Amino acid sequence: MADLAQAQAGATMPGQPYMELVNVWKRFGEGDKQTVAVRNVDLAIQPGEFVTLIGPSGCGKSTLFNMIAGLLPSDSDGSILVKGKAQQDGALLGKVSFMPQRDLLFPWRTVLDNATLALEVEGMPKRLARQKAEALFPEFGLKGFEQHYPHQLSGGMRQRVALMRTFLFERDLILLDEPFGALDALTRSMMQRWLLDIWEKHRRTVLFITHDIDEAIFLGDKVVVMTARPGTIKCQETITLPRPRDVSVVTTPEFMEVKKKLLAVVEEESLKTFASATMRP
Amino acid sequence: MASGLNALRSALPVAAALLALLLLWQFGTTALDVPAYILPKPAEILATALGRIGFFGGELYVTLVEAVGGFLIGSVLGILLAVAMILLPVLEVMLMPLAMVINAVPSIAFVPLVLLWFGLGMSSKIAIGALAVVFVVLLNLLSGLKRPEAESINLLRSFGASRLGILWRLQLPAGMPALVTGLRVGLARSTIAVIVAEMMGAYSGIGQVIYQATAQVDSLTVWAAVFVASLGSLALYGVLVALDRKLVWWR
Amino acid sequence: MSLQSAVRSPYAAVLIVAALWLVCVPLFSIPPRYLPPLPAVIADGVSVWPDLAAGFWRTLVETVLGFLAGSLLGITFGIAFAASKTLERAFFPIFVALQTVPVIAFGAIVVIWFGNTILAKVVIALYLAFFPVAVNTLRGLEQADPQRIALMKSFGASRLTLFRKLLLPTAAPNILIGMKLAVALSLAGAVVGEWFGDTVGLGVMLLQALYFELIPRVWVLIIACGALGTLLYGALALLERRFVWWRPD
Repeated sequence: MADLAQAQAGATMPGQPYMELVNVWKRFGEGDKQTVAVRNVDLAIQPGEFVTLIGPSGCGKSTLFNMIAGLLPSDSDGSILVKGKAQQDGALLGKVSFMPQRDLLFPWRTVLDNATLALEVEGMPKRLARQKAEALFPEFGLKGFEQHYPHQLSGGMRQRVALMRTFLFERDLILLDEPFGALDALTRSMMQRWLLDIWEKHRRTVLFITHDIDEAIFLGDKVVVMTARPGTIKCQETITLPRPRDVSVVTTPEFMEVKKKLLAVVEEESLKTFASATMRP
Repeated sequence: MASGLNALRSALPVAAALLALLLLWQFGTTALDVPAYILPKPAEILATALGRIGFFGGELYVTLVEAVGGFLIGSVLGILLAVAMILLPVLEVMLMPLAMVINAVPSIAFVPLVLLWFGLGMSSKIAIGALAVVFVVLLNLLSGLKRPEAESINLLRSFGASRLGILWRLQLPAGMPALVTGLRVGLARSTIAVIVAEMMGAYSGIGQVIYQATAQVDSLTVWAAVFVASLGSLALYGVLVALDRKLVWWR
Repeated sequence: MSLQSAVRSPYAAVLIVAALWLVCVPLFSIPPRYLPPLPAVIADGVSVWPDLAAGFWRTLVETVLGFLAGSLLGITFGIAFAASKTLERAFFPIFVALQTVPVIAFGAIVVIWFGNTILAKVVIALYLAFFPVAVNTLRGLEQADPQRIALMKSFGASRLTLFRKLLLPTAAPNILIGMKLAVALSLAGAVVGEWFGDTVGLGVMLLQALYFELIPRVWVLIIACGALGTLLYGALALLERRFVWWRPD
């Protein structure tokens, strides 16, 4: 499995991280009005690794995400490296498959054509793109819905279409920004298990934002906790729970122990955010 | 089959209401002995329109050609301007004040001007028709093209899409409903502008027929001309509704 | 304020266009037949000032009276349609069809009925204002969320309370959209109505300018019509800010 991951990640040297963030900052505005959204972030993501990132709301997670996706340039004091090479402004665009918080399906496209959107942008002929997508429909539980329009689907199904769109855009790194945040608890836990299945099969490198500690531990090889705004990395926790994981794992003592530890850290940061929000005039 | 039945079911009350109104009009005017110059009977109007069908048809044809010609020129111009402005924001900064100021003036106020510039023939009517459409289409489409949120644009950018790719795959489809609204308002405006221009000065066309008949207090011809003009613009409207279904097939 | 939004402010737009006019006419030596120099237009406007002021006032009165009466009637019909499904199903499609009719053509008939009185123009303006207001009122009333209606009913609201507290506020943005469409149409109706014979009004002056080929006068009247339309539209925008301060969700 690990060999396969190496092969898919391409020319990564053994032991070299796929992506590295070195002293990444993001400040908005000038002078007195300047606010720091992200401060001094150092993070390494190994090829084929599933990294989950948690932090209080408004901690700059989305800003960090946008920088990794290449949508927002990071400040010049740090750098984002891919396979050891620094990425200039905009160079990351088209290199990372990115899934924003909302599904952002286009209402005028069928499910099939929504899934192939990224491939079309790449310039793949429509027929080829459709063939490629159609093969994935059973795996994503969408068989028979190819010709439906987004408004005819449930929330969980829409999210799976968005995920399929992300998967079809075959890049070494997948960025998922709270993809299950809007789903009900039952659908959510089913989607988590299903995502792990898909991931085990395809073994891409994943960075997954969430604010749900259970989700972060259940999915991740490594959980990264961010501080309150201005966001930086507070701690990293390697999760050694065996894979493949199923629901029963969440009741094991190992899981509980990690959760206890992380909960304390996250609680502390959430309180800071809450206090600074309520103390404002 | 079921949709046909549904259509019939929804058409039935309308037909009944229409028939009731017409009967009320017909028998009301008869019973009250209303003179034709005040309100002719519907049967008389229909008879006048049908009796001179060749004449009315010919005049309506002129009006429709002018209205459709102006509408097409104006909407193509409006669409091109909107697309150019979205691709080159500096163009929007430069042209928007002019568009807003011209749009604030009722287009019929420009009728004397186009008559003086283009003469009494068809070209002046086409020009006023185009003027009545171009800014509605421009303003509507521009606001439609700006509708997609930054998030959707970012998604496409993350796939490596170019500016043109974003316009084609996201902004244009998202702007379609607004464009169709603009086209619909524009069509109504261009028909009105053309008929008004014909009233003010023309060799032919339904508006000129109405104007002359009014001057001669020929009430029946006025009513028949209005009836024919209504049929014409209703037909144009029908074409546009069909176009709407084609362009905005999703909800 | 960004450059884009500054340019969108109406005052800036007027100033920019006036400046362009001043500069471009001599610069490109545009023949006066197409666009006379701005000072010539202003001078012409000043020379007919009393007529212009009287015409502006007359057309304003015709437009406002017709617009108000038409809006009131339109709202009433909109409410009636919303209240009765049968009425709506029978008559609403006829309304939509009538809306597409080149209603201005009826102007001739109205003048036959009312003669060259101010009433004729008011009726034409009324007729033109009526349809967009009626159609948009109905659309607005139909937009009320059934769950909110259920909520109000669960509080024991009567039909009148329901209407006043929920339906009317929900419909207000749409009603105002209809009224904005209507005010422009009313103005056009009043101007065209004057063509069928009158002695005072912007429409009358427009017709005279056409007959005597007074191009600067035509431009004076175009500006006057634009100013009148903008004035009325601006008044409605103020009304909108007063009554629709929230954003529909």
